[in-house]
Parts: sequence; C-alpha cells; structure tokens
Amino acid sequence: MKKIDYRDKGSILNPLKNLQFFARKPITEKLEPRPASASYRGFHINDMDLCIGCSSCQKICDNAAITMVEVPSIKEDAAKGIRNLRPAIDYGRCCWCALCVDICPTSAIEMTREYVHTCDGDDTDSYFVFPSENGIHDLKFAKGWTKTEDSDLLDRIRRPMGEMKPEARINNFDEVVDGFTMEMAVEEASRCVDCGLCEDACPAHMHAPNYIRSIYEGNLEQAVEWMYETNPFSHVCGRVCTHICEDACSLGRVDENGVKNSQPIAIRWLKRFAMDNVSKATIKHIAQKGKTHIKSGKSVAVIGAGPAGLTAAFDLAKKGHRVTVYEALPKAGGMTRYGIPNYRLPEDRLDQDIEVITSVGVKINYNVRVGTDISMQQIHQENDAVILAIGLHNGRSTRISGSDNKAVVKAVDLLRMIPQGDKFIAPKSAVVIGGGNVAMDIARSMARLQMKQHNKVNVVVSALEALGNSFLADDEEVSESLEEGITILDSRGPKQCVISKGRLTGLETVNVLSIFDNKGRFSPKYDNSDLQYHPAEMVIEAIGQSADITLLGKDLIEELDWDRGRIKINDNGSTSVEWLWSAGDMVKGPDVINAVADGHRVANDIDSYLTR
Amino acid sequence: MKNTNKEGHSKSYKKLQTKKTLEEILDIAISFEKTARDFYTALIPNVSKNIRYLVEELAEEEQQHFDLFTNLKENSEVKKQLVKKINTPVEDHKFSDFVKLVDLGDNPDDQTILVYALAREDAAMKQYRDLAENAPKGELKDTFSFLAIEEAEHKLELEKKYYEIIHSGGPGM
Amino acid sequence: MRPENYQAVPLGDSNEYEIFIGPNHPGIEGNYALKLILDGDTVVKGTTDAGYLHRGFEKLMEGRLWIQNLAIVPRICVPDPAPMEVSYSLAVEEIMGIDAPIRAQWIRVLQLELSRIAAHLFTFGGHAATTGMYTPMYWGVADRDLVLDLFEDFTGGRVYSIYNIPGGVRRELPEGFLEKLSHLLDYLESRQNDYDNLLFTNQIFVQRAKGVGVLSKEDALEYGVTGPNLRACGLAFDVRRDDPYLIYDQLEFDIPTQQKGDAWSRILVRRDELFQSIHILRQVIAKLPSIKGPIRTAIPNPLSWNVPAGEAYARVESSKGELAYYVVSDGGDKPYRVHVRGPSSMHAVQTLEFLAKGARIEDVAQIMFSLDACPPEVDR
Repeated sequence: MKKIDYRDKGSILNPLKNLQFFARKPITEKLEPRPASASYRGFHINDMDLCIGCSSCQKICDNAAITMVEVPSIKEDAAKGIRNLRPAIDYGRCCWCALCVDICPTSAIEMTREYVHTCDGDDTDSYFVFPSENGIHDLKFAKGWTKTEDSDLLDRIRRPMGEMKPEARINNFDEVVDGFTMEMAVEEASRCVDCGLCEDACPAHMHAPNYIRSIYEGNLEQAVEWMYETNPFSHVCGRVCTHICEDACSLGRVDENGVKNSQPIAIRWLKRFAMDNVSKATIKHIAQKGKTHIKSGKSVAVIGAGPAGLTAAFDLAKKGHRVTVYEALPKAGGMTRYGIPNYRLPEDRLDQDIEVITSVGVKINYNVRVGTDISMQQIHQENDAVILAIGLHNGRSTRISGSDNKAVVKAVDLLRMIPQGDKFIAPKSAVVIGGGNVAMDIARSMARLQMKQHNKVNVVVSALEALGNSFLADDEEVSESLEEGITILDSRGPKQCVISKGRLTGLETVNVLSIFDNKGRFSPKYDNSDLQYHPAEMVIEAIGQSADITLLGKDLIEELDWDRGRIKINDNGSTSVEWLWSAGDMVKGPDVINAVADGHRVANDIDSYLTR
Repeated sequence: MKNTNKEGHSKSYKKLQTKKTLEEILDIAISFEKTARDFYTALIPNVSKNIRYLVEELAEEEQQHFDLFTNLKENSEVKKQLVKKINTPVEDHKFSDFVKLVDLGDNPDDQTILVYALAREDAAMKQYRDLAENAPKGELKDTFSFLAIEEAEHKLELEKKYYEIIHSGGPGM
Repeated sequence: MRPENYQAVPLGDSNEYEIFIGPNHPGIEGNYALKLILDGDTVVKGTTDAGYLHRGFEKLMEGRLWIQNLAIVPRICVPDPAPMEVSYSLAVEEIMGIDAPIRAQWIRVLQLELSRIAAHLFTFGGHAATTGMYTPMYWGVADRDLVLDLFEDFTGGRVYSIYNIPGGVRRELPEGFLEKLSHLLDYLESRQNDYDNLLFTNQIFVQRAKGVGVLSKEDALEYGVTGPNLRACGLAFDVRRDDPYLIYDQLEFDIPTQQKGDAWSRILVRRDELFQSIHILRQVIAKLPSIKGPIRTAIPNPLSWNVPAGEAYARVESSKGELAYYVVSDGGDKPYRVHVRGPSSMHAVQTLEFLAKGARIEDVAQIMFSLDACPPEVDR
C-alpha cells in the first residue's frame, strides 16, 4: 500500500487522471432480476406434507410475522402427530432471519432465492403469504437458505438411558433401566419445543408439555401435579406406557426428504424421573387435590382392579361417591401386575400407585371373583352403577396339532404365576409362539428363571412378523431380549407341536413369505416346504388374549349388545344396559394408557348419570 | 347340535363325484351353499351372544354365494353349457379332511367356528379348482374357475378375520 | 412556504441566528439533526438533536428470547452490522461459559473485517460528498456493493447478516468462497490508485479537510472518543490489539495513526485501515483452509434456553470505534438488561457539539461526517 503523508498537499491535477474512466466501458447494468446466492434468505416455501403444524416457527419468530392458519383440507392425525395448522407469513413484519427455517423440526419450511415482490395500490394483502411448495409467486425458484446440520437449532439426540448390563440382569428380576439423573432429566426436558402434539396424541391427554416444562424448571412437584390431573397410574406409565406421545413428538420425525436423524423427547422416562423423585407423602397430598368432602350417597362397584377400573374408581371417589372394587386376584393392578414382569415394572412402584389411589377413599375387595364368590345380580342390587373392567386375561391358543398337550401353555397364565410367588420350575428349553410384547415378557422372564435354576438360557421366540419391519414388540424389547441370550426366529409360522409318546418334544415351524395383504390387512402366507424343528420341553403360546365374560352370566350376555365380540359401548363407555359401564382392555384392546383414558371417560359419564 | 349337517355334506361330496353334467354340478354347488347357510343359521342361537356376529356374517356370506350360483345357473350363456359332460375329480383328500371337522360341539367358541369355516371354504375352493382343471376349455372351464376364485376369496377373507381375532387381540387392534 | 402565523424567534440584541440542519439534510449521515447558532458564518453553539431513529432496541431485547435478539442487533448499526452480532454473541458466550470453535472465530474475523471494509468505503463517499464531491460516493457505494455480494454469499443476507449465533456461526462458508474473496481483495487493491487520485491526493479535498475539526488527544480522551477518530489524534489504541478477542492475537496488522486530529487525519486513518483489513483478510484466506472442525458449539434448544445468571461486557473494534455489549442475565430465557456501548453516541453528540463550536458553517457537515457516527447506533 502506498503511504500518504499528512503533509501531502495533493495535486489539483490528480483527479484528472481519472478522466481515463471515460475510455472505459460503463459498468451500468440493466436492472433485471439477478440470481441470488445459493444460501440467500429469500421468500419462504413450505412443504405441506413435511409440515406437521407444530408451530415452532411461530414461536421463534422475532416479529410475530408467522400466524398458524387452519387448513381444513389437511387431515389431522393426532396419533401420528399431524395438525392441520400451517404457517402464514406477514412480510410486513418478517425480517428474513430464517430462524424459522433453522428451528423447524421437520425441515418443512425453507427459503428460496426469490427476492422481489411488489404490488400495486390496494394490493397490500399480497404481503400476507401462505407459503406452499412453489413459493410466493408460484414460480418454483431454487432453494436458498435451507437447514444444514450446523444451522439446526434443535437438540436432536436423546440423553441416553443407562441400563443394567445383560450379565447383571439375567439372573434376577431387578429393573433394567437406571433412570435419569436430575441433570440428564433437565437436559432431556430442555429439548422440548412445547408443540403439544404429545398431549393431543395421548389417549388420556396427559399434559406432557407442562410437566416437561416443570421438570426443566426443576419443579418436580409441579410436574407430578400436572401428571395427576390426568393419570393416577403415573408410576406405571412412567415405565411401561406404550408412549404414543413419543411417536407423535415433533422431534421424532425422520424423513428421507427432511431430517435424517432425530429422536423424540423421552417423555416416558421424564415422567418416571419426576415420579421417582417426589416423596410418596407428597404424591398422596397432590392426589387429594380436587377431592370433594361432600358425600353423594351414591355407590359404584368396579369389577377388576386394573388401570381402567382403578382410574375410574379414583375419579369417582374424589367426586364423593362410595366406590367398591372387586378383584379376583390377591393384589391390584391387573395386567400391569400379573402380565408385566418386575424387571420392567417393579412391584413396589405399582404398589405406590395403588396406595395413592386407595388413599382417596377407594375400597378394594381382593380375592373376590365375581360370578363365583358374588353374583353380578347382587353387585347390581347393592350399587347404583357398575363398571366392568376385567381386561383380557384369557390366552388364545393356536390350536395347531399337539397344542392340547399339557406342556403347551399360555403366556398370560405363566406370567400370572411368576409374581404370585408360585414355585415354578422353569423348563430347560422353551419355545414362545408370538412376536408381541407379551411374547417378549414371557421369554425374558423364562430366561431369567432358567438362568437362576439351570444357569443356562434356552428360549426361542418364533414370530410371524419380520424383525425390523412389522415386528410387534418394541425395538428395545427385541434388542434387550437378544442381549439376554434369547433367540428370535422371525417370519416363522407355527405348524405343529411335536408330541412323542404323549410328551412334547418341540415345535415345527414354516417360513412366512408375507404377512400383510396389499391392503395392509394381516394375512400371512406360508411356505410349507421350509420346515424347521425347534426342540423344547415347553411351548408357550403368546399370540392373543380374550376376555373371560362368563362372570356376566347367560342372561346378561343375552341382554347386552355386542360389537364384534366385545361389549358394545357408546363414546362414554356406557353399555346397552343402563346400570353397566365397561372400560379398558376388554373393550379397547390391550394398552395401559388407553385403559386410564377409558377410566376417566367412564367415571365422568357415571358421575353425570348419578348426579343428573 | 344336529348331525344332519354332517350327513348333508358327506352326501353332497359323493353326489359331486358321480354327477356328470354342469347343470347337475351347479345344483350340487347351490345345495352345498344352501346347506352351509342353513347350518350357520341354525348355529346362531347356539353360540354365545358375543360371538354371534361371526356366525351371522358366515350365514350371510353363504347366502350371497347361494344367490350368486343360482343366478349363474339361470344365465343363458351358462345354460348352453349345462348339458356338457365333464370328468369329476377322482379323489380329494382335503374335502374328506374337512368333512371330519364338522362336529363343533355345544356352544362353540369363535375360534372353533372360524377353523370350521376356513376348512369348509378351503375344500370347496379345491373342489372347484379340480373341476376347472378337468373341464374342456371355454365357458364351462371359466365357470368352474370363477367358482374356485369365489371360494378362494371367501377363504382369504376368513383367514384375515381369523388372524385379526385370534392373533392380535381382536378386531381393530 | 412560511405559515401565516410564523414568528421568527428573536435572539435579542446579538447578531446570532439559529439554523437547523437535518434530519434529512444531504450532509447528515442518517436521521439526526443539528441546531446551530451562528454569528455570521461562525458557529457559536451547536446542539445535536437525536431521537429520530429511536426504536428502543435495548428495551425490546429484554422482552425477546436470547436467540430472537440475533435478528435485532445488526439493526443497531446498518452500515457496519457485523460487530453488533459478534459482540452480542461474545457477551452471551461469556456468561454461558462457552467458546466458539476456533474455525468459527476465524470466520467471525473474516466477517468483521469485510464489514469494516464495507463501512469505510461508505464513509469515504459520504465524507467526500460533504465537500461537494459526489464521485467518491458513487464509487464507494458501488464497491461496497461488491462486498455485500460476498456477504450474501456466505451469510444469506446482504446487509443484515444475522450470521452469528452464541456458540459460533450459523453455517459453513460456501464452496469456493475464499477464492471469490481473494478476487475481491485484488480488485479493491487495484482501486487504490483511483481512490487516491480522486480523493486522497486531490488538492481540493486535502485543502478542504486539513485543519478542520481539530481534536486534541486530551480532548479526545475526555470525550470518550475511540476508534479511527482517536487514532487520528495520535493514540494507537485498538481493541483488536490492546484487548484481543477472537483470534486477533494470531494476526499481524498495523494500527494506522495520524497526529493532527483533524478531518484529514481521520479519513487518512480510515484509508490506511481499509488496506490493513485487506491484509488481515489475506491472512485469513491463507489460514482458514487448514483450520478444520466445527463452526458451532451447541446451545440448548432456543425455545427453552436459559442463560445462567451473570453479566458480561464484550467489546470489539468496530469501524466506528469501541463497540461493546453489556449483557445481564437473571437466569431466564430473556436478557435482564442489554446495554450497547456504541462509539457513535460519544462522537455524534458531545464531540460534535464540541468541534462545531467555532467552526465555519460550511465545515460543519464535514466535521460531522469525518467523525463517522452512526445515528441508528446513537439512538438505538
């Protein structure tokens, strides 16, 4: 660089040197649209299929330029986490910062390289734009600012949940997962964008965004308060819920055109964390909130002390009704106790949920089997309303040849025996038929018993579904089973239980070619030529369950309306018989959180029936 | 449960083996469906109310087949073919197998009924398929193929229903 | 047209009269104004009249999420927005106890120096225009546009980059960017002669600028003058060297100074600085490809991002002088208080009033521009 001295006076002729510019080509350019740079923040486009209506763009917008607009033509799907809201942008307010692009959980909203928009006179409405895939003028400009891995503002990856090593857990029924620490929980909670898709998806509409927020703020008591507004089985659901919420979570969306790697908030584990870290006394105190001290003088009987029945009982007791629960088994919890092994749901946690429920005034009569120890008529006569919530405790059988052998047993029956403390001698080798979570539960329980008693695991799971594809059991159930030494044979259909001289020797299976028809209905096709034999001392059937309705008696069965094998109920859970309601697995299929939701529904209806 | 149904099926089978003209065979097919329809209709009050829908649907489906085959017989194109002689299948194990399953016992459950219905449709499907193979090319062959396909579709539907009810906890799960 | 009820303000027995410059006068570099009391051609008293641009940014920032403020800060100084982003980010990073990755720091330096070049090119034109020379303004703005093209390339926006984020920068430089930058620097250097001929060795300009608005070193310090204005008084103070931030301590550059403290000294300092910035950018071009690694340290999900309680004062050297953000967090998701220490407030208000006193009316605009104040930054 040439230095110019302060003392330099300059020349009057120097500027004239620039007259040479007259000889140069003018650089004036015709004014026409110039292509903007490849990452230009131009106008917005929004992929309507990727967009789920989570409103994160609206929340982060600096200038309130984004309004979520309801688009009735888009089909809402709460379970999949899709709302029919889509962003509309006011370019009178937008400052083109592209934070909406960088936060979008699904990478639906992006910006193009288009940057010119003008309007005449009164056409100012044209600055309020509903961006589609084609941009503001339908001109399909190339994309400009899109989200990159660097610019993504969301924390995509879950805080890992620690669990016991397979060697450590295989010979006992201790809980497998460690649970979050406070720090992990707060970090995990911080990932939430508060879209509320989880709350929409949850059958019980648990206020997940609120309790996640409370956990993030370190206020676990408040978190539990939010939980008890909708779920008296929060310990149970914090451990074994089917977490439909997490499937709907806006951070869980991955798409080949959108975000490649993203994990939903561990809502279930957060719930577990909050419940575990608030004292029982405090939870009991929280559960009392909203309980009336006025007795209604009405009484309600609940048949079955499972999640559906007890949720209804909890609600009704808080509303001042006298509630009596009849339970055929020695303890409450239904399938959560007699179907779910301890390593997934420790009994003391379930006990605590039950204790909190009984603390609001629910009375449970154990070891009373309705239909045998007390008749349905008597219950009806003694109460103003009756809730039937007996679940699905009858195991289905494949009824393949040989399945009537006594060494062929049903998973639900076995699972019921294990926590009851029955002295059960595990077979040295077992084959489980089925690929759902129940099959995994019995396989893993069996493996634990085998390890304890024989020091060797020999369990084979034979499932119709293909792993990694349509497999029914949760991924973690599958991977943990494999870690525990269980063999999973997928795409295998049971052909026959091989019996030799009256003794079971094993199971023969055939290959499954396809499992669904072209309409997605379950319709397995077999290849009978591909035959396999699995030797086993015991075959366990874990294929499906049904409700044992014999307790109703012939007359009541005849009086009730039925809907394809299940008691017909209306939206509020009331049956065609005036005094009878039905809830839970037996009418809705197996799922804890659905049962809880059902319990609330039925309780509400009964309350309005009793106080009408 | 009345054993007449069992008899009816056995007789139908034997009849089918000996009849030679299409008209006769269609008559048998029609009576086959009619017997089944009557069987299911008679079964309705004998099953528990919660699974009655299943038997009702089966009876309804058999009625539809009965109507279909009856109309087929009245069809002028088919009528022309009715007098044609054809070879009937010599032996059909499947059909015999199915016949043995007829006794459903008192108050059968949904699975028993489904297993029976499946086997029945399977036998009928195979029967018509064999007949189609033996029939000369043309309307006659097409008619049997059609009957076989009808039964096959019926069977497939039942299979789906079976898996939905037995293997996945119930419909809609 | 004079309103019918207009009455001239009588100024008593003196010969003094009042005129008002601005807020849209061509000699005013943005919306602010100057009330002058003159005696003949000589200014007796000048009073600055700011406030036309007041948007209350500092207060606005208390009501917005930490991340949302990123879109506000560059607006505080339109001609030189990069230091705003960097300074805010540095302050927040300091409270959080995180550092931007090294690569991001180099990219930030690149952005800061490019922004300084753009700002100085703008000022050359403006300063020259106050003496009636308009060609440097055309040239300066046209060449600045070439810099803005590059900003568009790597930040996605021409003026408001919104490119920094606490923890780093928002995206990687595009492919081939450093070559483009290198070409631009070649071009700008090739323009040196043209600018020198037109402006810096032009007797008409030199004579107009010399001895105008003289500020002594002592007065400069007294009035809180920083940046090129201070260095034109002979004090080589530059935050980049005296309190290094980012990776400035790894760079080689001179601090250009002049001794006389007049308008001519100030524009000379800016001219030299522009070429120092080119020099720095050359070093960045040479070094950046060898610096691998991330460009961003992750911050929490911005919608639930609580910055821990604390405060930080992060200063950088902007084209106008020492710019700092004083940020206080009470541990919430929004700042408790943000104060901007903008160099222009000192330059445009007290220093200008001081220098205007005794100046001739025709020099007032030049004094004002030679201080290179940024009115939106005065008002905030």
